[in-house]
Amino acid sequence: MQGLTYLVVAYVIVWVGLLAYLGVVMLRIRGVRTELAAVKELVREQQEKRS
Amino acid sequence: MALARQDTNVKRRDASGPGQAERFPIVSMVLLALTFIGMMISIWMIFLYAPTDAIEGDAQRIFYFHLPSAIIGMLSLGIVALGGIVYLWKKDERWDWVARAAAELGTVFLTFALITGSIWGRTTWGTWWTWDARLTTTLILWFIYIGYLMLRSYMGRTPASARAGAVLAIIGLIDVPIIYESVNWWRTLHPQAVLPLGSSPQLPLEMLLTLVVAFITFTLLFSFLMVQLYQLEKMQTLAQQLRASVE
Repeated sequence: MQGLTYLVVAYVIVWVGLLAYLGVVMLRIRGVRTELAAVKELVREQQEKRS
Repeated sequence: MALARQDTNVKRRDASGPGQAERFPIVSMVLLALTFIGMMISIWMIFLYAPTDAIEGDAQRIFYFHLPSAIIGMLSLGIVALGGIVYLWKKDERWDWVARAAAELGTVFLTFALITGSIWGRTTWGTWWTWDARLTTTLILWFIYIGYLMLRSYMGRTPASARAGAVLAIIGLIDVPIIYESVNWWRTLHPQAVLPLGSSPQLPLEMLLTLVVAFITFTLLFSFLMVQLYQLEKMQTLAQQLRASVE
């Protein structure tokens, strides 16, 4: 029975860890997309001012 | 997209057309779906199909996630080193993105391998950790990854950072064959290789099939995450270059 407990703990750690990591990666991607859009807008504004 | 055609070849490649950008979500979706299906089959095989080990009992089933995590964690450093070598050779930034993405994933998978191995060790050896040759060399690899990530983070997205990372990965790669051979070179507590190179596997068929399915699933998961992190690296570099152009 003790082996089963360790087995469950190991799989829970892996699953929770993987899902948490996946969530962090998705949040990072969303953050960079937002930043990229903002910087592109800034560059566009600068180019319009120059022209 | 005209914005992206300012300085570097990276931006020129990025502006090569909408088709390339649209393909990635499809690849990601396919990989994610295959990973999900693979995980479901793996879980069924691990808990219901594979027989219970006569000596280790249920705790042996940890092995089906532990081994693929460890193998992918080790092979990732090969991808990091390969990315570094090609970057040093061609000076193509895309290879550096591959190296950075693989280093992060290698750290994640190797962390899972160390944690699951430690839990298995507690049930079988009665201790969470021992300074066994296999465990110690694997921990050294984990520190190499951490060192790589710290170095890249500290030096930023510069050519010098990419070169330093490539050199570190190439030198660090020496540890991978040492890990593999550690159970043969030294007297260790860690079990011998169940999939020895050049000879037949040391496992019953059901266990071997379960291991193969779990390994394929972890490879799919790794591929899915690689695509995501590669895209992330690409966008971060583009954002940094655009930001630099307006400052």
